[in-house]
Amino acid sequence: MALLSFERRYRVRGGTLVGGDLFDFWIGPFYVGFFGVTTAFFTILGTALILWAAALGPTWNPWMINIAPPPITYGLAFAPLQEGGFWQLITICALGAFVSWALRQAEISRKLGMGYHVPIAYGVAIFAYFTLVVIRPVLMGAWGFGFPYGIFSHLDWVSNVGYQYLHFHYNPAHMIAVSFFFTTCLALALHGGLILSAVNPQKGEATKTAEYEDAFFRDTLGYSIGALGIHRLGLLLALNAGFWSAVCIVISGPFWSRGWPEWWSWWLNLPIWN
Amino acid sequence: MAQYQNIFTQLQVRGPIDLGPPIPDQAFRSRSGRLSRLIGWFGSAQFGPIYLGRLGVASLIFGFLSFEIIGLNMFASVGWNPIQFVRQLPWLALEPPPPSYGLHLPPLNQGGWWLLAGFTLTVAILLWWLRTYRRAKALGMGTHVSWAFASAILLYLSLGFIRPLLMGSWGEAVPFGIFPHLDWTAAFSIRYGNLFYNPFHALSIAFLYGSTLLFAMHGATVLAVSHLGGEREVSQIVDRGTAEERASLFWRWTMGFNATFESIHRWAWWFAVLTTLTGAIGILLTGTAVDNWYLWAVKHRFAPEYTMPYVSPPDPATGASAANPLGIKQ
Amino acid sequence: MRGRILAVLGVVVGVLLMLALVNAFRATSAVQTGFRGVGMEQVDFNTRLEAKLAANTVPDPIPAAGEGGELAAYAYQNVQVLGHLSSGEFTRLMAAITTWVAPEVGCVYCHAPQRDDKGQIMKDEDGYVIADPNKMDSDETYQKRVARRMIQMTLHLNGDWKDHLKETGVTCYTCHRGQPVPANLWFDPPPDPMADRLVGSSAGQNHPNAAAGVSSLPVDPFRPFLVSDEQIRVIATAALPGTDRQSIKQAEWSYSLMMHMSSALGVNCTYCHNSRSFGAWDASPPPRAQAWFGIRMVRDINKNYLEPLAGTFPENRLGPNGDVPKAHCGTCHAGAYKPLLGVSMLKDYQVLARAQPQPPPRPPEQGAASTPAQEPTPAR
Repeated sequence: MALLSFERRYRVRGGTLVGGDLFDFWIGPFYVGFFGVTTAFFTILGTALILWAAALGPTWNPWMINIAPPPITYGLAFAPLQEGGFWQLITICALGAFVSWALRQAEISRKLGMGYHVPIAYGVAIFAYFTLVVIRPVLMGAWGFGFPYGIFSHLDWVSNVGYQYLHFHYNPAHMIAVSFFFTTCLALALHGGLILSAVNPQKGEATKTAEYEDAFFRDTLGYSIGALGIHRLGLLLALNAGFWSAVCIVISGPFWSRGWPEWWSWWLNLPIWN
Repeated sequence: MAQYQNIFTQLQVRGPIDLGPPIPDQAFRSRSGRLSRLIGWFGSAQFGPIYLGRLGVASLIFGFLSFEIIGLNMFASVGWNPIQFVRQLPWLALEPPPPSYGLHLPPLNQGGWWLLAGFTLTVAILLWWLRTYRRAKALGMGTHVSWAFASAILLYLSLGFIRPLLMGSWGEAVPFGIFPHLDWTAAFSIRYGNLFYNPFHALSIAFLYGSTLLFAMHGATVLAVSHLGGEREVSQIVDRGTAEERASLFWRWTMGFNATFESIHRWAWWFAVLTTLTGAIGILLTGTAVDNWYLWAVKHRFAPEYTMPYVSPPDPATGASAANPLGIKQ
Repeated sequence: MRGRILAVLGVVVGVLLMLALVNAFRATSAVQTGFRGVGMEQVDFNTRLEAKLAANTVPDPIPAAGEGGELAAYAYQNVQVLGHLSSGEFTRLMAAITTWVAPEVGCVYCHAPQRDDKGQIMKDEDGYVIADPNKMDSDETYQKRVARRMIQMTLHLNGDWKDHLKETGVTCYTCHRGQPVPANLWFDPPPDPMADRLVGSSAGQNHPNAAAGVSSLPVDPFRPFLVSDEQIRVIATAALPGTDRQSIKQAEWSYSLMMHMSSALGVNCTYCHNSRSFGAWDASPPPRAQAWFGIRMVRDINKNYLEPLAGTFPENRLGPNGDVPKAHCGTCHAGAYKPLLGVSMLKDYQVLARAQPQPPPRPPEQGAASTPAQEPTPAR
């Protein structure tokens, strides 16, 4: 059921990391595996907790639902459910689900004889989340430093934490991360456009080959990174965006407490300017 | 067993320089290219040949003019002191005119240079756009790259030209300068009531992060099947091989649906293009249609409500104070 | 071989990272001022907090003066502001002012120095210049004339600016901190030399600006907002356009002032604001109102007390544009959310609590020696 035309021959046993054959099957198009079970467990539990916490809150308006971390006075202890305890349990479920998802991706990669690039890339994203809700709060001594779960409420957190450093744009790691984000977007537009322009050529023209892909960028920019290179570049740009984002927030607080513009004083005061 | 993950090219093959397929104006291509072993570890080792026709040269000239206007004004602003120029460079800027000039042409040193720099830069960008369009046509290819570029140009024009026009003031535009353009960004959000509550700003960020997510996914997927020729995407599109099959199945089994080797590039193109497109809309609506995004959000019932642990003070400008909390006129 | 180098490098980086993380663990303390998870927190390193405590110690008060005694207006000459005090309280205050403003130099910082017959300034047997006890009433030094105005200013602030100072009040020490010239003052910046040329105008910003926290925000937020009363508010109070004509550039100017206030008070923006809505008063915490009064108070100080002293200060006390030294938020706060961390010196020096009417001049036939029969009711 729901198999693609070529799919059957790929549905073989093997590749699992844990559990052997026990969970090595599919439900519809979804591969299960041991980590599919754990993902489902954490996801269902976490979602149930979110719904429960929302039900205890003042609104069902999806934009306004807010599940907040504990006040920082609780330090690194468990807080009562309605005083941030929900947030803590949901965070545990989230991390469990994300790690399970990554390990499931690893199992699928193994089964398909593919490299581990996708789960590793996803691991960088998990690391960014982990930095925000675990590493930074632990360094600062309280779970309450994590961000609230809510569509617009998490933006209020971003705004206020940013202004704790007076002008967050001056954070050098933030600058690096933003540059990587924008460059990733540029590179994606170029790559997507290039492939589409090759297989959707001008009226009456034949589909274009790799020589034409390279020629377009060599003509326009003087350099074409090539088919393999662009995927390496895209992956590394995207992962750096996530990595430097994690860096920029973990240094804010545990490693620097003043306004970020003031950090640049070291440059202004270098002895070489005298 | 440990496997090499194909991040760097282990064996660089040297062949003849690829001069590319023939085009009508072959003469404008430089004669040959050069190889770089260093770059060859990561991407194609070949630099060039480059096509430099009239459009490209014109674009470079206008771009150079703009760069010089900006740079020389910055140099002048530190009294032509080269040490201070390098030291203060991140802080230096060429500033747009004060709002008092509205849309009139100000004196050179009061925003006139900014207008000139902006004008020459815009001409350079538009000429470059035309260049990308012509190069695609010359190769018989689709113009998808140009239209993606057009979305970015729309955002650039919105910020520096269209919105100032709508607001009646060149002074609303962005200064040329590393830190100063960041000051503008923060001041813009402060002035207009917190841009996080601008729905188009939120959409633009969603598409920006989505683009990053997509390129991580796509880049990783192709690398993961690169031992099967997955990076030869055009071939995989017209004649599906095991690389495309495994790549598609990976995502189908993971999340229940998948793209094809062509359609993933459509996802990619749209996410990237919509980032700047929705961003431009968000910019154009700010100050023109909405003056305070937070209050607009409150009005449209999507700003969260909190019970703060403090009692907000009354506005003292109304006459209220500690001795007179209701601000009753004495 | 390459793998081994990478492994060693990895271990080194890992160890350094671990050290950094362990070092950073609980190195900060924080106070949460808003609802949980909103991000309104004041965070600082424990080392910096301890340094702040050490830097804000309050000198011990001088023992109180005894009751009674002749009024200063009659005991001394040329007492124009504090004549209503008993001479005991008066001399106690003078001693206190000396420790607060010029402890190294002593009374002679303000009072005329003792001179020899040829008019040369004398030194005593220990080599110090001392004040001439027979000329304590002389106004020949500019410092004495400035100090009189400063005392008037202090009385005015404590009496009429309770909206900002509450009952904590200020004394000379709050600004001077044992220095004749307070550490945190400002002067008008030199004019932009490129402003009238063909190129290179900075438009009042776009240079590293210590006043605005080393950002490139406008260079001088002080004259427009802490001397003149230019409008600081830039945010619209309605969702749709029509009420607010302020520009983005004006927002940058206000932002520059706010950066100054943050570093002057050692707090971040969330101390006074909920940044989701900077402008709304119903979203802001209480310190914002106090800051509003603080800004008006500083304008009062600069316009009515400091700028009029332009003719009194000598050249070496003026700025590059020839303007007087002026006050901003940092002059009193000196990096603390409340000056001296909220410790009130006023409670031990209630004589500085408010200005009082001066006693009438003594009728001439009473003579130099004071007699109790002519003492008017002591003003308290």
